[in-house]
Amino acid sequence: MDKKTLGFIDELLKKAEEEGFLESEVYYESDSSMSVSAREGKIVEFENSDMAALSFRGLYNGQMGYASTEDIQPDMIPFLLSQAKDNCGVLEVKEKITVYEGEKEYPELNLYNEELEKIDYAFLSELTLRLEKALLAYDPRIEAVEDCVASSGSGEIYIQNSKGMVCHDRDNGFDLYLGVRAKEGEDVQTYGKGWIFKKLSELDEEKCVNEVGKRVISKLGSTSIPSEKTSVVLDKKAAKSLLSSFSGSFSAELMQKGLSRLCDKLGEKIADEKITLIDEGIIEGSFLSQGFDSEGVLAKRTVLIDKGIFTSPLHNRKTALVDGVESTGNAYRSGAKGSIGIAPMNFHFENGTLSQEELFEKMGNGVYITALYGLHAGINTISGDFSLMAEGFTIRDGKIDKPVNQITIADNFFDLLMKVEALGNDIDYFSPDSSHTQSPSLLIPDVSVAGE
Amino acid sequence: MLSQSCIERILAAALSRGGDFSEVFIEHSKTTSVALVNGVVESTGSSLDMGIGIRILEGDKCVYVYSNDLYHEDKLIRMAQNASASLSDAPCGKTIYLEPVVEYFSGKPENSLISVSKKLQVEKLRKAGETAKEYSPLITQTSASCAGSEKEIWIANSDGLYVKDNRCRIRASIAAIASSEEDKQQGSFAPGSSEGFEFFERLDLDELARKSAKIAVTMIDAKPCPSGKMPVVIGNGFGGVIFHEACGHALEATSVGIKSSCFTDMLGKQIASPIVSAFDDARIEKEWGSYAVDDEGTPSTTNLLIKDGILNSYLIDKIGSRRMNMPSTGCARRQNYSFAPTSRMSNTFIANGESDPESIIADTEYGIYAASMGGGSVDTSTGEFNFAVNEAYMIRDGKICEPVKGATLIGKGGEVLMNIDRVGNDLKLAQGVCGSVSGGVPVDVGQPTIRVSEITVGGQA
Repeated sequence: MDKKTLGFIDELLKKAEEEGFLESEVYYESDSSMSVSAREGKIVEFENSDMAALSFRGLYNGQMGYASTEDIQPDMIPFLLSQAKDNCGVLEVKEKITVYEGEKEYPELNLYNEELEKIDYAFLSELTLRLEKALLAYDPRIEAVEDCVASSGSGEIYIQNSKGMVCHDRDNGFDLYLGVRAKEGEDVQTYGKGWIFKKLSELDEEKCVNEVGKRVISKLGSTSIPSEKTSVVLDKKAAKSLLSSFSGSFSAELMQKGLSRLCDKLGEKIADEKITLIDEGIIEGSFLSQGFDSEGVLAKRTVLIDKGIFTSPLHNRKTALVDGVESTGNAYRSGAKGSIGIAPMNFHFENGTLSQEELFEKMGNGVYITALYGLHAGINTISGDFSLMAEGFTIRDGKIDKPVNQITIADNFFDLLMKVEALGNDIDYFSPDSSHTQSPSLLIPDVSVAGE
Repeated sequence: MLSQSCIERILAAALSRGGDFSEVFIEHSKTTSVALVNGVVESTGSSLDMGIGIRILEGDKCVYVYSNDLYHEDKLIRMAQNASASLSDAPCGKTIYLEPVVEYFSGKPENSLISVSKKLQVEKLRKAGETAKEYSPLITQTSASCAGSEKEIWIANSDGLYVKDNRCRIRASIAAIASSEEDKQQGSFAPGSSEGFEFFERLDLDELARKSAKIAVTMIDAKPCPSGKMPVVIGNGFGGVIFHEACGHALEATSVGIKSSCFTDMLGKQIASPIVSAFDDARIEKEWGSYAVDDEGTPSTTNLLIKDGILNSYLIDKIGSRRMNMPSTGCARRQNYSFAPTSRMSNTFIANGESDPESIIADTEYGIYAASMGGGSVDTSTGEFNFAVNEAYMIRDGKICEPVKGATLIGKGGEVLMNIDRVGNDLKLAQGVCGSVSGGVPVDVGQPTIRVSEITVGGQA
C-alpha cells in the first residue's frame, strides 16, 4: 500500500462522517500481472498490467449504499459519497447491516513469496518456448500447442472502516496453462490444464508435459456410446466442478430467500452417511489459505454436512444476524465493484478410503467421467437437476477400456449426494493443480448417460 | 483525458525498440444498476471505470499492457517502453502524427440512464415482479433488475488513426420462479438495447413478467426429457445460440488465424445445408450487439458469413488479417481496456427461410420442440458444442405435446449445420453476453424457427 492511497482512504472515511454516514468502510484491491504466450517457436503474446480499484460503502438512513471507482484521485471523493448516498435512498433492505469491529489479531499466512519477484519476461518466455517444444516432441500425433501461457502476478486487499478495523493481505503466484491438440486421421482431440505455483521449486516441467501429452493421446479414438442408465465414477476434477456449481445451495442468503433446495433442511439427513462437507479458510501450509473474509471476519472451519446430516449453511454477518447465529466468515465480493454476498473459502468433501483402481473395481462396468462441459448452462442450481456434456472412458471389469465423448450425463445433485456409493482418497491440498473447491473421485450408481 | 500530443508520445515510445504498429485504447465509463428480489430493492450500484491499454504488434506478435493510472504521463511512457522490451531490437523509425479525431456515436441516449433517478426504475420493476407473482400461486419468487452503462472510448494508432466512440447500453431483466415440493423452475427474459432510459420506458415489462411466469409454471409440471438422437425443432430468437456456439465461434480469426478451427480453409465450400444463410451484422440500429466502430477503430460491417450453405466470410480483426492475409471485417472487440481486442461476434443470426413455423412442427412426427434455449459452450478445434434447453416440449404426430425438462443438446458444429432441414420465416433476435478471450461483450443471437434432423439430446429419462 502506498502512502497516497492510505491518505485517500483516511480522507474518504473522514468526509463520509462529515456527510452524515453513521458507519463507513473502504475496500481496496490491486493487482499486477505479467503473462507470456508461445506458439510455433515464437512468443506471440506478452501482457503486463497494473490495476487498482476502490469501493466505498456507508450507512445512511438505515441503508448501506455502495459506490466504486478505478479513478483513485481526491476529486473522486464527492462522486463516491453522493452516489452511495443516492443508492441508500433507493435501497429497502430490511436487515440492519453494519460494518465489523474487526478481530484482535489476524493470522500471518505468508502467502507472498519474494522469490517470485525475480520472474521476468526472459524467464517466462524461455519457459513457454521450452514447454511448447517438449509437448510437440511428446508424440507425433500432437499437432499443435494451442495454449502455452505462463504468468506471474501479485495482488493486495485492504479493508479499513470507521470502527477502526484494518485488514491487509497480499499474495503472489505463478501460473501455467497448457492446451494441446492431437490428430489421428480425421479424429481431432484437445486437452488443457492449468497449475498455480507458489515456489519456483514446485514447477516440474516434465511432469506437466507428460500429464497433458498422455491425456490428449488417450482421448484419440473417442466415440459415443449407447444411451443407458449406468454407474459412473466422476474423477476429482469432474466431481469438483459439479460441487462448485451447486455451492450456492449452501449459502444462507439463498436459503433465506427461498432460492435453495436446502431452505428447510437444516438438521436433516441430506446425504449418505459417507459424506462430510467442510469449508475452511486456513489449511495449514497450503497456498489456498485465506485469513479473513470480505467483511474482515476471521476465516473459520465450518462443517456443512456431518456424516450425511446438514449441520450449517455458510453465513456472512447479515445472514447470521437474521438466523441469530455467528458469521461463518464467508462474506465474499467479486472485486471492488461487487456488493457483499456469500461464497465458500476452501470447500470440499472429506476424502474417502478407496484408490482410483479400487473405485473402478467396485464399479465393475460403467463410465469413468474425466470432464464435464457447459456447467454455466446445463444445471438448475435450485432444483439440483443437471444434464451436461461429458467425456471419459468406459470401464469394463474394473479396468479402463475405451475413450468416450459426445455423451451427456444427467441426474440431480441432491439425489446424487444420497446415492453416492463410495468416495476416493485423492484430494491433495498441496498440489499445484488444486483449487478452492475440491472433491475426491465419486462412485455414483444409476446415472442417465445419453449417447447414440 | 490525455492530450493528442501525449497520445502521440505514448505511441512513439511503444515503438522505440521494435514493433511495426502501436495502438492506444482509452476508456472512461460509468455504470449503474438496481435489482429487486421479491419486490424489495436489495442491491444498487454505481461505478466509474477508466483505464488505458497500449498494444504493440510486430508481425502477428502482440504485446499488451494496461493500467488505470491516467494521470502520470511519465509512467505511461515508461509502461510503453517496458512493453517494447520483449520485441526485437529493430525500431521501425515511424514518426507519429494523429489525424484530427473522428467522433462516432454507437449509441446516443435520448435520456441518460446514468442521470435518471433510480426511483423511476424501481416502480416499474416492482410492478413487473407483482405481475409475475399474480400469474399463479405456484410463483414463489421474483427478481427484476435494470442496469446500464455509458462509455467514451478513444482509439489512436501509429498509422495516424484517431477516433472517439460514444456507447451506451441498457438491459432489464425479469425472472419468475415456480415451486413444487421437490422442484423449482425458472422463466426469465433479459432484453437490452444500445439506448438510454427511453428503452426501459418503452419496454412492456409486465408482458415479459407474465411470459416468464408461464414458462416457470409450465416447466414445474414437466417430466424428465428423454435421451438419445432425435429430430429437434428449435424456436426463434434465443434459439440462435445454437448457431453462435456451433458455428460463430469457429469462424472467428482467433481460431481460424492459427488454423485450429474446424472451419479453417473452408471458404467457398459447403459447410451448412443449402437452405442456411447467416449474418454477423454490427450495423443494426440501436441493437444491443451493434457498434459503429470496432475496438481497433475500424468501421463496423454487415458480414454475410454463410450464403446458401457456402462459407462466404470469416470474422477478422487486425492480427487475424495479418495471419490470414485478408482484410479486417471490423469485428475487433473487448470487454474493456484490460483486454487486448480480438475477433468477436456482434448480432449473429440465421436469415429467414421459407417455411411457416407451424408447418415445421406439423411435418415432424416425433422429436423435441426446444422453445427457449439456455447458454452453452464450444470447443472450436473439434466443433463440439453443448447447450441447455430451458423450455421444451415433446412433438408427436406433428403436434406440440407435454413439456419436458432438463434437456441438453450436444453435437459437432459441422454436423448440425448440415442437418438443418427446415428454416422458418419468423426471424427474431435475442440479447446476451458472450464470454471469450477478450472478456464479456454484448451480443445478439437470432434465428427463425429451424429443424435439425438429428441431434443428441441428453435428458434424465
